[in-house]
Amino acid sequence: MNFLRRLKPSSREGSLALILIVAVGGTGLINPRFLTGDGTRDLFTSTSVVALLAIGIAPIVIMRHIDLSISSTVGLTAWVVADMCAKNPDFTWVQCFVVGPIIGIAVGIVNGLLVAGLRLPSLVVTLGTLYIVRGFVYVVSNSVDYNAQEMPPSLLDLGQKVFFGLLPFTFLLVIIAMLLMGFFMKYTKSGRDAYAIGSNPPAADLVGIKVFRRTFLAFVFSGFMAGLAGVFYLMRFAQVDSTAFYGQELAVVAAVVIGGVTIMGGSGTVVGAVIGALLVQTIQGGLAALGVDAFWKAAVNGLLLIVAIYADRVLAVRSEKSLLAQRIRERV
Amino acid sequence: MANKGELLLEMNKVAKRFGGAVALKGTDLKIRAGEIHALLGENGAGKSTMLKILAGVHVNDGGTIKLGSKDFVTGSPQESINQGIAVIYQEPSLFLDLSLAENVFIGRQPKKGAVIDWKFAQSEAARLFKELGVELDPKRQARGLSIADQQVVEIAKALSMNANIILMDEPTAALSASEVDRLMTVMKSLKAANKAVIFVSHRLDEVFAISDYITVMRDGATVSENPVGDTNLQKVIKDMVGRELTELFPKTEHKIGGVVLEVNDLTNPAYFRNVSFNVKKGEIVALAGLVGSGRSEIARAIFGIDKYESGTVKVNGEVLPAGSPVIAMERKIALVPEDRRQQGLFMVAGVDRNISMESFSALTDRGLINFKKERSLTETWKEKLSIKFANQSDPVDRLSGGNQQKTVLAKWLATDPDLLIVDEPTRGIDVATKAEVHRLVDKAAGEGKAVLMISSELPEVLGMADRVIVMREGKQVAELSRAEATQEKIIAAATTGKKSA
Amino acid sequence: MSKFFKLRSIPRSWDTAILGLLAMVLILASTTTEGFLTSLNISYIFSNTSEITIMAFAMTFLIITGEIDLSIASILALGSSMLGWSYANGAPIWLAILICLAVGTLCGFINGFLVTKVGLGSLAVTIGTLALYRGIANGILGENTVNEFPEAYTSFGFDTIGNSFMPKTLPLIIFFGLIFGFLLHRTPFGRRTLAIGQSPEAARFAGINVVRHKIIVFTFTGFMSGVAGVIYTFRFSTAQADNGVGLELLVISAILLGGVSIFGGVGTMWGVVAGVLLAGAVESWLTLREINAQWRTIVTGILLLISVAAPVLVAKNKARRERKALKS
Repeated sequence: MNFLRRLKPSSREGSLALILIVAVGGTGLINPRFLTGDGTRDLFTSTSVVALLAIGIAPIVIMRHIDLSISSTVGLTAWVVADMCAKNPDFTWVQCFVVGPIIGIAVGIVNGLLVAGLRLPSLVVTLGTLYIVRGFVYVVSNSVDYNAQEMPPSLLDLGQKVFFGLLPFTFLLVIIAMLLMGFFMKYTKSGRDAYAIGSNPPAADLVGIKVFRRTFLAFVFSGFMAGLAGVFYLMRFAQVDSTAFYGQELAVVAAVVIGGVTIMGGSGTVVGAVIGALLVQTIQGGLAALGVDAFWKAAVNGLLLIVAIYADRVLAVRSEKSLLAQRIRERV
Repeated sequence: MANKGELLLEMNKVAKRFGGAVALKGTDLKIRAGEIHALLGENGAGKSTMLKILAGVHVNDGGTIKLGSKDFVTGSPQESINQGIAVIYQEPSLFLDLSLAENVFIGRQPKKGAVIDWKFAQSEAARLFKELGVELDPKRQARGLSIADQQVVEIAKALSMNANIILMDEPTAALSASEVDRLMTVMKSLKAANKAVIFVSHRLDEVFAISDYITVMRDGATVSENPVGDTNLQKVIKDMVGRELTELFPKTEHKIGGVVLEVNDLTNPAYFRNVSFNVKKGEIVALAGLVGSGRSEIARAIFGIDKYESGTVKVNGEVLPAGSPVIAMERKIALVPEDRRQQGLFMVAGVDRNISMESFSALTDRGLINFKKERSLTETWKEKLSIKFANQSDPVDRLSGGNQQKTVLAKWLATDPDLLIVDEPTRGIDVATKAEVHRLVDKAAGEGKAVLMISSELPEVLGMADRVIVMREGKQVAELSRAEATQEKIIAAATTGKKSA
Repeated sequence: MSKFFKLRSIPRSWDTAILGLLAMVLILASTTTEGFLTSLNISYIFSNTSEITIMAFAMTFLIITGEIDLSIASILALGSSMLGWSYANGAPIWLAILICLAVGTLCGFINGFLVTKVGLGSLAVTIGTLALYRGIANGILGENTVNEFPEAYTSFGFDTIGNSFMPKTLPLIIFFGLIFGFLLHRTPFGRRTLAIGQSPEAARFAGINVVRHKIIVFTFTGFMSGVAGVIYTFRFSTAQADNGVGLELLVISAILLGGVSIFGGVGTMWGVVAGVLLAGAVESWLTLREINAQWRTIVTGILLLISVAAPVLVAKNKARRERKALKS
């Protein structure tokens, strides 16, 4: 229990959780089914992939970088794993969970070397790898689709498994990842280094933080999570084609920023990122229940992101003003 | 831990050159445990260089440095820290998103097994803050902390790294009076713990209030070292300044005309209050004072880059609206800023593009820039100011400091201003070019321009100005005519607020 | 700051390098592949890159000032949707076009406002408006598409001038290219744009109203996205909410390929044109060789990485040589 108390979120995450509860409640009012076991389970299932990715890029954004290639990596992993399973019918979920992350790590290594090693801007680098990996998927897949028949039944079963009637297996993994990563970011030196690097890059260098190593590993981690998310994708949709998960990278960034991991770096938590993902999904659900066209979905995502950034900005300006006022008071 | 009075550091005949310029000729310094040691001297005397050598940023070319009985290993900030020397800079560089405790222990978080022990970090940071006599919450974020508090955090960090000698480079420059008092409390705690504090400061009243020893440097050499009881303000100022003024400035007498700039009761509570003065045609008025006294802020407020809260600025009799450099330029004001690299020039752009930046109306035909006119403008000013460069398109980054400054001047003189404000016009420039710049400023005054010159270099102020206005902590404390002004009077006013020591 | 940011002073030699690269690709393609140098194919290259070129003209200014706009493709889609919707609901075609342009301009202005006046980072903001604008487009048209447009206009978007290699849209593109080119290289506005990117602080001290300038540039970018929206709609004879997905990345790639630094302060219009043509030529070449169309994305990605890595490697090499010379 002491352990859990240590992970108690700071105020931003606390208020986010509150907003989430309110959002869930609100959506529940409109659509009572939302508050049932079924509804909750659906929410968790539909959020799993994005939540996992959000955990994956949170350290990167905290370091003031970004990884846009994640959705392409998810697509690549999903397809390659499906392909592998189709060609090896005796494969079980175990092989999937091994191969997926390995593919992701490969992409992460490329990103890491370019961003950390050559010090190239992460926006441009991951834009490039986004293209390359996506194109690679098309080429390799040759427009071959896979569906449920080719997947190992053990994998699909796992996708259906639910714990305590509420927690789908995938979301359970999300929670485990969140707790592990949350602990790591708060209680290990490597985790804290990420915050220092994002908060004041030149100073981080000066105090002896191994910037290359941390940055590189962060991208490898993001790749790993993207690879894992690819397997989740398969479990959830039980089918994949060469356009799988296309264009979702910005949805993940939005979830993360809404969750309190500012684009400026240096702050935010993994827990917040997951709550951000849940919040976005809940609001979508609420709007869908209200009968709002599914097409406004993207618009809402965008609006949420802008509101989140605006809120950050307002807080920053407020503290600047109070600092100035303090200085004026003292300078009499 | 060292014993009080034990010799911690001894620097003997330390010398340092940067290329052709000699920064230190042969300086000596003795530091003992439990002492607060002030290092005084004018700009360029070499104090910063001394500190930087100890901090591991520079390596000395000559002389010896001993820490206790061992030799001091130079050249790396990490080595300096390992040998127990910590530096606190004027502008601390904390990690603003992290907590104070984390900042104190950055990179070396205390662990319980493999896991960071936050409890210990927080309690230890709290203990250090208390030991220093300051109330700070170790759990709070560093963002929003005043510079003074940030300094305290840095000092706590130094203590937690077992520093024995703490260097402070102008720690009070950005502090208010009450913050300075608190810093002094902190310094006394350090002294009580038998650490040594070496600090550079220009505020002589503070220096005498807190130091045990005072070393004065001048032109790269140590001029005197005394226990505080054996010296006084007058002696120290004389040591700092006492050379013959061999460099006479090419100041010529000008006909002084009507008022061009009139500043009345100008106030921006964070930086300056109730500032009132005027500058007339053909006159050179100098704003003297220490760094942080608000002079550059006044200049920026006049020019419109910063806003001000109350007061008025009138140019040629008409009120100048605040906050608009465009209008200021239309009303023929020019500002040559303090930091030529960050504020005055576009370093990667060519000389021609820098010079032409404010002169587009003269250079465009129907909206398009006429390159030929631009080239001839650049050529004209190259000759007028003797700016040395190879090609007009060379990035100004390649020019020497003096030529860079001339480029900035050319840019603004090309607008033919009525009021020319120059902020530290010869900072970081070689002696020969300094004289050239002075001649140019003088010529501008001779052409009937009103010149407001901000300078921290006393010979320059005395050599060029018709009137000297001295600022201290945002307030005007003295106005001296050319005849009255002496270095001693200016320093006395700038550091203590009184007209004489 | 750290040595990392010296990237801004990367020699302009990249502009010449890209022209050389373009020439090389053109020569290689025309000698190895039949049908590359035909007027029909060249017209394809031009028309397929029309929208990207148009948007790149304005976006170049934005990137030079150190900002970015990821929402341009969504603005295109929104403008296109409004065009289609208005026309389908009875508006005369010229009014529908004006609406598209007005929408683009407004969206660009909103981006500029949020970034400068409210002070939010352009990357995050335009990630948000990217979703927001396309979402609104979806809200207006939903899954519907508008396909019926006056023949004269769709011909303008799609056909060539006679049998030549010039699409009908080419003169318009050249017109805009000249305007933006002159604007960047020969006017005070262009100088100020470069100045802001090189040193925002020095720009302030030079009396440049940075906020107003950036808002203008953002607004231009929105306007040009609207123009691109018009062309796109007529070229494909389709107004739908999904138009142009992913185009923003192509535009950014072309601009970076053209030697414009992502950090701002450096760039030329001819470099950008070369970048666009290079990407377009490579795609055309691959298509003619019947290489899987998706290799294009891989190649664009690699070109993007090269465009950003090469200057760094060149500079590192130069620095290493200079250090060696100093030691000896």
